[in-house]
Amino acid sequence: MNLRRKILAASTILSLAAMSAPVLAEELRFTVWTGGEAHLRMLNEIAESFKVTHPDVTVRFETIPAADYTQKLTFQLAGGNPPDLGWMMEDAAPTFAAAGVLMDLGPTLREAEGYDFADYSQPALGLWTDGEAVYGVPFSTSPFMIFYNKTLFDEAGLEDPLQLAASGKWNMDTFQEVARTIKEKTGKWGFEFKDGQGYESRIMHALMPPIRAYGGDVWANGECGFDKPEAVQAVQQLHDMVFKDKSIVPPGEQGDYFSGSSAMTMNQISRASKMPEAGFEWGIAPLPSGPAGESPVIGQAAIVVFERGEQKELAAEFVAHMTNKENVAKMAQFFPPARKSVLESEAFTSANAIIPPEQMAHVSDAIEKGKVLPSHEKSPQILAAMAPRVDALWKADADVKQALDGVCAAIEPLL
Amino acid sequence: MADTLTDKTSARTWRAPRLTLRRREAIEAWLFVSPTVAGFLLFFLGPLVAVVYFSLTEWNLLTQEATFVGVKNYVDALSQNPDFWHVLRNSFVFAIGLVPLNMSLALTLALALSRPFRGVVFFRTVFFAPVVTSAVAWAIVWRFLLQGEGGAVNQLLAIVGIGGPNWLREPDWAMVAVIVTRVIKMVGLNMILYIAALQAIPRDYEAAARLEGASNWQIFRMVIWPLLAPTTLVIFVITMIGSFKVFDHIYLMTGGGPENGTLVLAFYIYEQGFKFFNVGYASALAMIMFVIVLVLTVIQMTLRRKDMR
Repeated sequence: MNLRRKILAASTILSLAAMSAPVLAEELRFTVWTGGEAHLRMLNEIAESFKVTHPDVTVRFETIPAADYTQKLTFQLAGGNPPDLGWMMEDAAPTFAAAGVLMDLGPTLREAEGYDFADYSQPALGLWTDGEAVYGVPFSTSPFMIFYNKTLFDEAGLEDPLQLAASGKWNMDTFQEVARTIKEKTGKWGFEFKDGQGYESRIMHALMPPIRAYGGDVWANGECGFDKPEAVQAVQQLHDMVFKDKSIVPPGEQGDYFSGSSAMTMNQISRASKMPEAGFEWGIAPLPSGPAGESPVIGQAAIVVFERGEQKELAAEFVAHMTNKENVAKMAQFFPPARKSVLESEAFTSANAIIPPEQMAHVSDAIEKGKVLPSHEKSPQILAAMAPRVDALWKADADVKQALDGVCAAIEPLL
Repeated sequence: MADTLTDKTSARTWRAPRLTLRRREAIEAWLFVSPTVAGFLLFFLGPLVAVVYFSLTEWNLLTQEATFVGVKNYVDALSQNPDFWHVLRNSFVFAIGLVPLNMSLALTLALALSRPFRGVVFFRTVFFAPVVTSAVAWAIVWRFLLQGEGGAVNQLLAIVGIGGPNWLREPDWAMVAVIVTRVIKMVGLNMILYIAALQAIPRDYEAAARLEGASNWQIFRMVIWPLLAPTTLVIFVITMIGSFKVFDHIYLMTGGGPENGTLVLAFYIYEQGFKFFNVGYASALAMIMFVIVLVLTVIQMTLRRKDMR
């Protein structure tokens, strides 16, 4: 009797515990590099809608600034405190995938109801899949666009990049010309590299688009492309713009597009959220074409789940939720989608609150034609090896060809 | 026995002699220092021993794979890697530039500000304020001031007809710039130490020397400077160690560039460990840095001891 009672009591406690377990609130930690209010509001809305199917799951978004993002993420992983989910940039993807720290989301996504994994564009998934395995779902396949300050173009009496593009005259030569004219007529800088970091943390963003416009590449199939004639020509032009025309914000100088100090910069549409408060008229246009025609460059970022996270199954379910059709459409105002159905929908070009449809059409166009930035398993080492050689390039008296030969000599053993 | 246990007062008087005063004090002292000792063991000695072990492994931070490789990392650093010697040279240049500049400036300021006069507190505050300023804010402001063309420093130089360089973009000038901005940031601390030492010197010594007809320079050279020797030693050691360990300033001002011109050892260790994830190699470099600083400190202390004799 006594024993039976004990068993009964124990089983009651156990079954109560089993029943109450799913009721316990769970939290998923999600690292992102945006701190923008509009972005976070949207992300929190998506997290809120996850509660329909998972009432007790909250998702906490943790902002880590982009410049240190990959390092800080690594510290958290190495310190045994991995986030459950995170954004990941294209240049970090191969390193992390090769290290085996990313969870294969393939099974979860293919089984998720109404998910339609085949809707994702294959080229966009290239960096994130390996056979059947899916290590990340791109949430942003965002081409680099020219942001221009219409007010400054008007002041200088120039056609703006969008108008030039419409008449088929928007190429590397007119790009150089308008930048020079802006500098001469308004005293402001013609062009600023992405976020003003083209000489430091954004070397690739600075050099890659012109090199591709000239038909070159930075590296391909283990071979360095910086010393090829197309790349040399492209970089020579940038070099002239910095040191002869003095129309690009030079190294060591601060010229902020968003506060009106530069007439043009290159960035992605997620940054358009900064524009309404900029205090000048603005627009976006495609990258100038070059001798190789149009060659848009795409920066990509994906959502990943960390293999060592304790709630990785739940985290994978959240990825399936966050990247379903409805939510991808929602995110598309900031982060261009890799889902064909959303990309081709009217909603993508016409529903953006900040950017007019005619400009969004250029974004869709660029996504279709563009190539993703280069990445490599040894990206951090390659960039560090390049950095001092690229420093040598950005001097008034530098021999561009020689400097680029130096870049290749430094990175070739790593490719 | 039973009696003593039942009678509390006698129990106390019976127990007390077991601990001598000396012993009791020792136990109390250990209890007082135990939190610090625990912290020292846990957060200092533990990691230090761990670093020694890590330095003998090849450990990838990201994959968490570690293999024991013996002294390979040390051999690689000292004989295989040309960057290492370049980085070491930069560290020495930084220290050799920073330490004398910092110390001489600190002493000069201390001599000027050790005696009370109207506004002395204001000036002391002005020179000490950078020490407590955020390193990030400091670096951002200086990056603006040191811009090539639009920078305030070069505009000031232009007034007197000097065309300033693009400070943070030319390797040699960048080194000068990080040294000088670091000195301005940290000099206040050494100044305070010197002021304290100067104020501890009895005024009678100076008065006596003056009666003997000594000039200001002689008083400084023969009376004050020798009395400052212990302070000078301390300041030298902490400033030198600090200059070898400099990281945040480099990270924020130049990121080791341009052309690796300001890539110093501590920053290089960070790059190896946290950018390339080679924790084993980074640990070996950290041990090398530890030995360098240790040797320099010992040399300095031995010289000073001889000097005092």
